[in-house]
Amino acid sequence: MALANLRGRIAYIFEDIDFDVDQIIGVKNIKIRDVDELARLAMKAYDPQFSETVRPGDLLVGNHNFGYGHPHYPPMIAMRKLGISGVIAESFSPGYWRGEIAMGFPQIPCPGILDFVERWDEVEVIWQDNLIRNHTQNTERSFEPLPYADLLMLGEGGIVGYLHARNRLEGKAEAAHE
Amino acid sequence: MGFTIAEKILARAAGRDAVRAGDEILAKPDFVIAYDFPGYTDVIFKQMKDEFGIETVAEPERFALFIDHMVPAVTAQEEDLHQNTRDWGAANGVPVYERLGIGHHVASELGYAVPGGFAVHFDGHISQLGTFGMLAIGVRRHLLEAFVRDDIRIKVPQTTRVNLSGTLPPGVMARDVFHNIVRTLGPSACRFHVLEIGGEALRHISLDGRQTINCLAMFTGAITSIMNPDEIALDYAGERARIALDPVCSDEDADYAAVHDIDIGSLEPVVVVPPSPANTQDLADHLGKDVQVGYLGSCASGRLEDLAIAAEVLKGRKIKPGFQLHVVPTSQAIMQQAAEKGILSTLIAAGAFVTSSTCDYCFGRLGVMTEDQRAVSTGTLNVRGRMGSPDSEIYLVNAAAVAASAIEGRIADPRNYL
Repeated sequence: MALANLRGRIAYIFEDIDFDVDQIIGVKNIKIRDVDELARLAMKAYDPQFSETVRPGDLLVGNHNFGYGHPHYPPMIAMRKLGISGVIAESFSPGYWRGEIAMGFPQIPCPGILDFVERWDEVEVIWQDNLIRNHTQNTERSFEPLPYADLLMLGEGGIVGYLHARNRLEGKAEAAHE
Repeated sequence: MGFTIAEKILARAAGRDAVRAGDEILAKPDFVIAYDFPGYTDVIFKQMKDEFGIETVAEPERFALFIDHMVPAVTAQEEDLHQNTRDWGAANGVPVYERLGIGHHVASELGYAVPGGFAVHFDGHISQLGTFGMLAIGVRRHLLEAFVRDDIRIKVPQTTRVNLSGTLPPGVMARDVFHNIVRTLGPSACRFHVLEIGGEALRHISLDGRQTINCLAMFTGAITSIMNPDEIALDYAGERARIALDPVCSDEDADYAAVHDIDIGSLEPVVVVPPSPANTQDLADHLGKDVQVGYLGSCASGRLEDLAIAAEVLKGRKIKPGFQLHVVPTSQAIMQQAAEKGILSTLIAAGAFVTSSTCDYCFGRLGVMTEDQRAVSTGTLNVRGRMGSPDSEIYLVNAAAVAASAIEGRIADPRNYL
């Protein structure tokens, strides 16, 4: 399983504990399905220039219990559209975690991350060593290893790829695709 | 070191002698439960076929589908979704239950809550089946795995134990007990754990109340909630159980991540202040705030006990003119019982708008608020926009407080009316 390391800048740090990700696009926009529209709306309440400054590969950082509440998918659909490659947080709320891992979107639990990075630092997530390297500050920090199934799901791009991989690894035949 | 009830259930579901928290296992759910909802069931049905070439599930009796959201349909698109669900159920031999009430609760009425069993759903409120000693977990889109494979990959969760002691004072309900657990432990204390609730106080909490408590477990960070089944739970679930399993309980020396003791004997009514389910405060600090809407219902509350206490508060009284009190029993069976006991007529006489069971008032599909309106609610959630405009507010309280507030048109203490 070759899960590519992530490398990018810390595009934003959400300092709120129990952060409700729906705030990223605003509750009034939560039913919008157009991805370009979502990307345009994202982060307006936090940093109006966000969509112009973010670059593909950049990462987000969150505080404890990131994703608490009743998380919907559109906020992180918008973030992926903008090129965000993953979220590193002190800890995650399970519902949010499951939802995003199933979408193949890397989530990295790293106690101490808030003290370890500043906005726009360049960091690298090294899966094999469970390590985050801060290239700007030349420091390293361990993150909590992910369960096997979650790593497989990220490596295969989400729940569908994961299930194909499970079938393959366990020698289970799949009927031909239509 | 002994085992928790969750470890015992997952060991059996994995076909192993024993599993421990932290083990990554493949476990076969006894039941796979879902309600039809765009993006979930319709996508699952399509992916099963298009991605994996699966025309029908192998063991249809393990599956149960509910139509409880978007009931009744208000657009042809919604009815299309329901018809697609009915068609899929018919083609697969999978029962589709509709217009019986909210599936998380109706599942227990229909015998899907089996002590010792393991169930999965995409929605976390299925945790309320833990009332009957069943491990029921909401897995969001991972539910596809349970439709495509017999077993699902799961990391055996740790368990946080909460012991409740004391007896609830009048006007204080199971709803207050749960929100007080969040207040005491914090909204992330049980992250990724099973919340196991026990203690001598449970003997005095009805099954209705226990379902309320277990239903809301996710707001402690737990992936589900469970109670070791006592005689009351076994009596109810045992005679309805669709499969024969041996009930299990945690060992005395089970290995818990944490144990908390909470005395409920001195609890006061609480309110969960918007916009976060973590924001539990004393009701006393919010008395007198104007409210225009009351919602008594949901998978969390809206059972006979909730309807009965609302009727007690409202008996011989009238709700404030202009106040919108929506009463939505959790199931049709509950509604019928409430009708037979005269509870509904009391509520109607007081001015309540009583409707058949549906999830739709809880998530802002019916009875929506416009900006600057405020509700007292027994729904599951108080996040912004949940019941309409993002600029409306939801204060979560117990059923008695909803009724009392409906009389005054302000947040009110139900103990003045009991």
